Amino acid sequence: MNFRQFAYRNVVRNRRIYAAFFMASVFSVMVFFLYSMLLFHPSIEDRFVQEIAIIGMGVAEIVLYIFTLFFLFYSMRAFLQARSKEFGILLHLGMKKGQLNRLIFIETMLIGIAAIGIGTALGFTFSKFFLMVVREVVSLPALPLYLSWKPFVLTISAFLSLFTIISYIAPVFIRTGKVVDLLRGDGNEKGNYGYSKLRGYVGLFFLGLSYAMAAFTSNSTVISLFIFLPPLATIGTYYFFTDSVPLILHSLRKQRWLFWRRYRLFTISEGIVWLRENARMFFIVTIVSTLAFMSVGTLASLTSFASQYREMNPLGLVYISEESNRFEQAHIVELLTELEEEELDYELTVFTILRQRSSFSGGLVDILRQSDVNMLAHTLGYPPLHLEKGKALFLPPSISSYKSLNARVVNTVLEESEVAIRIDGAYPHQLFAANSVGTNAIVLNDADFELALVRDKSESANLYRYYAFHIPEWQKTKEIGVAIDASLTETFIKGNSNSLPYSFDNPGLNYSIIRTTFSLLLLTGLLLAVVFFLAAGSFIYFRLYTRLDQDRKQFDILRRLGLTDREFKKIVNQQLIPQFFFPWGVAMLHSSFAFLSLQVIWDALAEISIVKELVIVLTGFTMMQLFYFYLIRWRYLAHIRTPR
Amino acid sequence: MTERPIVELTEITKIYEGKVMHRALNLLSFEAMEGEFVAIMGPSGSGKTTLLNLISSIDLPTYGQIIIDGIEPEKLPENKLALFRRHNLGFIFQEINLLNTLTVEENIVLPLTLDGFSLEEMERRLGNLSERLDLAEILDKRPDELSGGQAQRTAIGRALVHQPKIILADEPTGNLDSKSAKDVLELLSEVNETMRTTIVMVTHDPIAASYCDRVLFIKDGAFFNEIYKDERRQTFFQRILNVLSLLGGHSHELSSVRLP
Repeated sequence: MNFRQFAYRNVVRNRRIYAAFFMASVFSVMVFFLYSMLLFHPSIEDRFVQEIAIIGMGVAEIVLYIFTLFFLFYSMRAFLQARSKEFGILLHLGMKKGQLNRLIFIETMLIGIAAIGIGTALGFTFSKFFLMVVREVVSLPALPLYLSWKPFVLTISAFLSLFTIISYIAPVFIRTGKVVDLLRGDGNEKGNYGYSKLRGYVGLFFLGLSYAMAAFTSNSTVISLFIFLPPLATIGTYYFFTDSVPLILHSLRKQRWLFWRRYRLFTISEGIVWLRENARMFFIVTIVSTLAFMSVGTLASLTSFASQYREMNPLGLVYISEESNRFEQAHIVELLTELEEEELDYELTVFTILRQRSSFSGGLVDILRQSDVNMLAHTLGYPPLHLEKGKALFLPPSISSYKSLNARVVNTVLEESEVAIRIDGAYPHQLFAANSVGTNAIVLNDADFELALVRDKSESANLYRYYAFHIPEWQKTKEIGVAIDASLTETFIKGNSNSLPYSFDNPGLNYSIIRTTFSLLLLTGLLLAVVFFLAAGSFIYFRLYTRLDQDRKQFDILRRLGLTDREFKKIVNQQLIPQFFFPWGVAMLHSSFAFLSLQVIWDALAEISIVKELVIVLTGFTMMQLFYFYLIRWRYLAHIRTPR
Repeated sequence: MTERPIVELTEITKIYEGKVMHRALNLLSFEAMEGEFVAIMGPSGSGKTTLLNLISSIDLPTYGQIIIDGIEPEKLPENKLALFRRHNLGFIFQEINLLNTLTVEENIVLPLTLDGFSLEEMERRLGNLSERLDLAEILDKRPDELSGGQAQRTAIGRALVHQPKIILADEPTGNLDSKSAKDVLELLSEVNETMRTTIVMVTHDPIAASYCDRVLFIKDGAFFNEIYKDERRQTFFQRILNVLSLLGGHSHELSSVRLP
């Protein structure tokens, strides 16, 4: 048996302990590879989507890399410390420190290379499926499987470097002081039950403060909270786990009537020790889960933003033409032909908009004719309106502005035509795409409109023609007006955006871009969250495993004292449940409050509610966590019942 | 001393199946009377601990019958068996086996909390025991802050708190210095005398055995010899040593044994 064989056998025979560690590594390699597959995909031609894909996946890969580094770091340390007895024996037998380091290096690299190999292979196996899912979610026409060396090279080199770093650093974790200490193993790290009362109170105070601030966020404070809250909550969480919870548990311990009851005596005191040993892990798990919840929740709410897009854009297509527009006829014919070709139903309403200056505000006002508006309202299924002479109504540019506009009464004179009008209230429905008419739009009755038009003193009346296409299947308009859109984009890119005498708006196309972007981001976020989630679970599994011998001994004592199997299970439950659900519950609470303050932003932006999406996301995570809990409890019970 | 046997083992055989079959006990019969303090001695591997495990019902015999206080543990379902153990037996181990996360008093009341005793009752029993076992000053300490003797006294407290009929002790003095060992043994015989608790103790140590009423010697899983205590502990000790010297050697060496 040479040295390498020895290392190899060490790994293979410790496979139970390495299993969780190995699985989490494999999984993150796999996800990394899948991201890379998308990152380098040749057929994402849509430039915009491609950019989003590259940015999203790139960020995700970096996050994944850093996170995996931390994860491996932490588990490696715990793992090596658990094996200190074994290292003690080796040193006792006369192994040199350098040899020990080499042993650990070889072992880590073995696991690393195996994880990279299996992870990449699994990733490649699933990539067809993954690309299919992405295609569905993003609604791209096709996203075929492709073969390229790039994703392989990126994944393998990234993780090879990662494992090399870990392998070099890992030996530092073995506290090679005295061989005797190592031989005695992990069991001698007792006696330190210290916590600081001050820090405990500070932790509670910080958390309470950040919750309160998040709950009472208002529009004006939200930005400063963004800078202020995260560090406050993070520090609060840290102290909460290291000091506040021990503080609470210790004071609980003094209450005999509470504490000396059934299994509590055992589970609470064990819990205190658990917490002391794992406070930092709990902290990391909490923060990571909070981030995962937050990102998924935010992305889900973006998706809900997309679903409410329709309300803000009631029209299928909008073409606005100035009077000087030579292309008007050609463009309209083009649009109509394209609509026919795509076999899309449509109703076209054409109306004229007059732009004049208001004496009241000094700004420009877009004026519409009542009969035009009624025609459009009829198409969209809204009630018609009847204005008296000299009266006008505001046409709200967005739903949110309706309330404030409806309450306003303005007496003004249109300067160009000297027509005096009284604007009283607003039309309650949104007829145009948000902001496609000027923000300052009113509707006059037909007589007033004609008057304003005829009396216009300027050289040429400021007239627009507005082509409103009402298309029931509005999401299918992606291919309509592409040429017109391109001509607009071209001018826009050249920098003279106002030079063209027409504008064109295709909500269907915009919607597909928004939807694609959001769903792609959501998918990325979800995958990341799953990695975090798996890693958090394997942290716990891992700590359980390193303590298994100790726990087994303890339960052996308890069994001799006459613990029934049911009681045993109850105790295990009482010990495992907090480990799984406590950090995670705190994370839930954190993200709930974070969303409370986020809701304020959403209210301001688009008045949508993100409650539904959040409930779905949080329930989903709860289900996964429950599943994970039962899985790990099952393994733990099986291991602890079989004596070595 | 009443003559009612509280522990009755009849022709017990225990075979461990495995890659190598191992017969740990062979047709061994053993009785302990109510209120008796019995020591079981024998060389390493003679089956002492197996015997103790069988009595404590965490292991079941391959053949033979065990009756403890009129009950056959083998016939009890798993859960009842655990409760039976909890209510009738007290354990003391060589490794002491206190739960490190609990303080002395918590370790002692642990078995009571499992049964849902009232706080007053727990505190009453704790008060009694701590006085008797001289634990009053260390009730708030943790096991790792205790000396060996203190720790074993705590373990005895835990074994006694349920007021069990039988105490099973596995090398209770094995890890203690001679002074602490003496304290613990005196404590055990006091408990035996005042509370009429039956004690079955496995030990290597002839001094420890000399505190008992009777010493049973086993060798290779079978009965070897049995002696009863006499007036003076010193002579009992000598007789134990004599049997041990026979027990330790092989048959052809017997002739060369010289008693000191």
